Amino acid sequence: MKTAEEVRSGTSPSRTVAAPSRPRRRIDWSHVGLAPLALLFVLPLLWEVLASFMADAQINKYPPALVPDGIHLDGYRYVFTNTDFPRWFLNSVLVSLVSVVSNLVLCSLAAYGFARLRFRGSGVLFGLLVATIIIPFQLTMIPTFILMKNLGLADSLGALILPNLVSVFGVYLLRQFFLALPRDIEEAAIIDGCGRLQVLVRIVLPLARPALATLAALTFLTSWNDLTWPLIAISTDDNYTLQLGLTTFAGQHHTIWSAVMAGNVITTLPVLIVFLLTQRTFIQSLTSTAVKG
Amino acid sequence: MKIGIGSATACAAVLAGALLSGCSGDDGGVSADGTVRIVFWHGQTQIAQKALDGLVAEFNRTHPKIKVVSQSGGSTADQLLPKVTAALVSGSYPDISYIYGSDLASIARNRKVADLTSAVQAPGVDWNDFWPAARAAATVDGRVRAIPALTDNLAVIYNKKLFAEQKVAPPKPGWSWDDFRATAKALTDPSKGTYGTAWPIADGEDVTWRLWPLVWQQGGDIVTPDRRRSRFAGPEGVRGLTVWRDMSVADKSVYLDQDSAGARMGQLFNNGKMGMFVAGPWALADIGPAKIDYAVAPLPGFNGDNTTIGGPDNWVVMDKGSERRKAATEFLLWLTRPAQDLRWDLATGQLPLRASASRHPSYAAYQARWKLDVWIDNLPKMRTRPTLRAYPKLSQAVQEAIAAVLLGKMEPGPALDRAAKAADSALATEE
Amino acid sequence: MARPMKRALGETPAAWAFVLPATLLILGLSLLPMVWSLLLSFTDSDLVTSGRWVGMDNYERLLDDPAFRQSIRNTLIFTALYVPGSAGLGLLIAMALNRPRTKLIGIYRTCVIVPFVVSPAATGVLFAFICDARFGVANRILSAFGIPRQGFLEDPNTALYTLTGIGLWGGTGFCVIIFLAALQDIPPSLVEAARIDGAGRWNIFRHVTLPSVRPVTTFVVIWQSLVAMQLFDLVYATTRGGPLGSTAVVVYFIYNQAFKVFDAGYGAAAAYVLAVVLLALGGVRYLLTRARRRFA
Repeated sequence: MKTAEEVRSGTSPSRTVAAPSRPRRRIDWSHVGLAPLALLFVLPLLWEVLASFMADAQINKYPPALVPDGIHLDGYRYVFTNTDFPRWFLNSVLVSLVSVVSNLVLCSLAAYGFARLRFRGSGVLFGLLVATIIIPFQLTMIPTFILMKNLGLADSLGALILPNLVSVFGVYLLRQFFLALPRDIEEAAIIDGCGRLQVLVRIVLPLARPALATLAALTFLTSWNDLTWPLIAISTDDNYTLQLGLTTFAGQHHTIWSAVMAGNVITTLPVLIVFLLTQRTFIQSLTSTAVKG
Repeated sequence: MKIGIGSATACAAVLAGALLSGCSGDDGGVSADGTVRIVFWHGQTQIAQKALDGLVAEFNRTHPKIKVVSQSGGSTADQLLPKVTAALVSGSYPDISYIYGSDLASIARNRKVADLTSAVQAPGVDWNDFWPAARAAATVDGRVRAIPALTDNLAVIYNKKLFAEQKVAPPKPGWSWDDFRATAKALTDPSKGTYGTAWPIADGEDVTWRLWPLVWQQGGDIVTPDRRRSRFAGPEGVRGLTVWRDMSVADKSVYLDQDSAGARMGQLFNNGKMGMFVAGPWALADIGPAKIDYAVAPLPGFNGDNTTIGGPDNWVVMDKGSERRKAATEFLLWLTRPAQDLRWDLATGQLPLRASASRHPSYAAYQARWKLDVWIDNLPKMRTRPTLRAYPKLSQAVQEAIAAVLLGKMEPGPALDRAAKAADSALATEE
Repeated sequence: MARPMKRALGETPAAWAFVLPATLLILGLSLLPMVWSLLLSFTDSDLVTSGRWVGMDNYERLLDDPAFRQSIRNTLIFTALYVPGSAGLGLLIAMALNRPRTKLIGIYRTCVIVPFVVSPAATGVLFAFICDARFGVANRILSAFGIPRQGFLEDPNTALYTLTGIGLWGGTGFCVIIFLAALQDIPPSLVEAARIDGAGRWNIFRHVTLPSVRPVTTFVVIWQSLVAMQLFDLVYATTRGGPLGSTAVVVYFIYNQAFKVFDAGYGAAAAYVLAVVLLALGGVRYLLTRARRRFA
């Protein structure tokens, strides 16, 4: 019977006893499933990238074309010269980064409290937190705006940041992850005299790196793509986020499609990069658990 | 544990106090030397925004005591309503905002929306120079609650080349809906994928307002004179909707645009796939670059009545103290003076708000170049929607009826009756 | 393992210190809006003016409102398809991707999460193009296989299912990401031990994988259910509830009432009906879990 440490460390000899003959068949089968799926997932966006290189004349054609007849940078040019794009970008980056950092810290703390620490009312409190999202934001955005106004934050980046410092989603997600981790090491550390905070920071968080990376990426995404709340909270052009800025390409009767496409592509890139970066940490954590002891 | 609960309660109390401490409008914006700073949500983008910014800059230059801060308000005009609502509720509202015509009656129920009746009667304003429909759309319950911002009306833009190809005679003045139906049918060619005409059925007032001319042309109306009950489900409405139902279901000559912004029918027309486009001059912004050889005809009619509909939108002034209100009013009255109106129209392609602007010599060339004659001629005679608080609900009920009928799922009579029931219960809450 | 009682009690202040910041922020920013919304649902306010108290009138009106009933039906259908679809597919794909990174696997991973990062507005534009009934790529592909053209988003019979498909396209990536993270945390030696014991792939799945990811699965199912029941952005970006209300979901109904036809009190009542339903579902689940534990 392996001890918890041996299980955790993954350095036991069984790691190298991978059955050699199996993998070949397995890989073939999953490729059959994965390849078309991957194609299905990515093709629509591929068209958007292609469309962003179309000239206005071509993009307004009906039936619409699939492939651009050359590389036209009309849309990109419009986005970068006619608009306040750098400012929008900076605002979005600022709001999203603060949101990510704050979520990582506050949600970890709370999730650990709910997952590992027993205290009276923890179930009720957690239920209360989850219950706060049963009222759709479309309705609560008005009183939230009133709240921001009374805090002096209306029409400022603060109004975008404050409601996103911590999320029920983050607390819930991390709690589930923490619950799934074996308690053995933590309890060993506590017996050794570690404080709870130390246990969280030194032991649990490193183990939960995939979860943290996931939370970081998802929080960034939510903040980056948010349109509903900035629409209500922001009026001054200087405080526009990227998504808000994109809406200005569509007027009441006239839409600059090339700019819309280019804008969408440019806006999707940073999030994609964030996700790819966080995916890397998954692999690192897979190998790093091998060295933990 | 006690400390935790204690601090939690304290924080909650502070937040509650903050929330409940009221929605008083702040009186900021008047500086010590008397300069008044007002915030202007215009909801415009691209060309219109640039033109407006230019006008604002000139106003600021020539009126040193007032500074207008021009903002799009958070986005485009059609997204402004939730913003303005949130703004009014929270007390964090601008001095001036753009408001859709059909929303004015509801927004004006808020006392912060200024009453401009005496302001527009002041000497030099020449209120009667504005089109009757524009004035009516800015008036709620006999009081003027807004200044006209934009106006348009419906006419038939048609593709001359397509007419020639299908060997169809172009529309003649005073043509009837029967003529229109026959023309649309002749223009429709499934093998080439061309349609005679189109109607948007997805979302919004654009679906509904196209029915009203057919109702008015037969002597009917949207609501009864006392505005307590709907009248659109009467024989006039049924007949009007039946004409289009027959075109859509039997002739298949109508493209039903399900795009949420009604953008696809424009695309069809600009690609030579549609013969007649019932639209306002806004459509020319895309038709021009598409190089369609177009002409404009008035709407067809019943019994020689070719009444069309206009859909004016407004600027409202929201009260943030008497100084700012006066400054905002002054700005709006300046903005809509004939000289500025003309400048705005020439820059953006919008129709003049004032008769004097439309008669100005420098407008004549512009009008000729873009073939705006029909729309300009419509301006003095066009009718508009009643300024009713219940209008948005009425509009949505009729929109559902129109969509169901044109898709062939319901008969015009029962569909309009169902809409009338919904409209009547909405009108019953009207004060 | 015995936990000294003293230790447990002594932890409570620490526990509160851990959860307090997040709790204060969340509750502080949500409780008041929720109370505000509740009070609103008992008035006939249009938000522009404060309205009068009408008690349960709005709720009674909702019972008779065919549009509301339709929106509930649409929401339930969407949820019933979307949740198992995205969670099940997400888990399967995650399992297929949970292996040391080769170039191809890396590409697959990227492809799978790409739809998820696209904003709803952009998704709407994309699929308006793809699902165009006359010229869209989707119909062109179908015709190539001899399948008749579909109306997709323009046909009341297919719009909701098309929308579900689009939702799955965008939302499965979310489940994949979360399940991947969870799968990474399964000690490989557990799997190896089971394999050495002679367990086949299916048994490994049933007895090692599934139990290990159970807390996360629970979370994914619950979260996706919440997301599905509160669907809005995708509807707003594509069909706006049409055609003929076939894609009107509850939150779109609320938005329409509050921000297009000036009947915010009515919209708030609809929101609370939805909330009660969600609470009821949560309560049922809670009771079921307790019962299962009791008899496990």
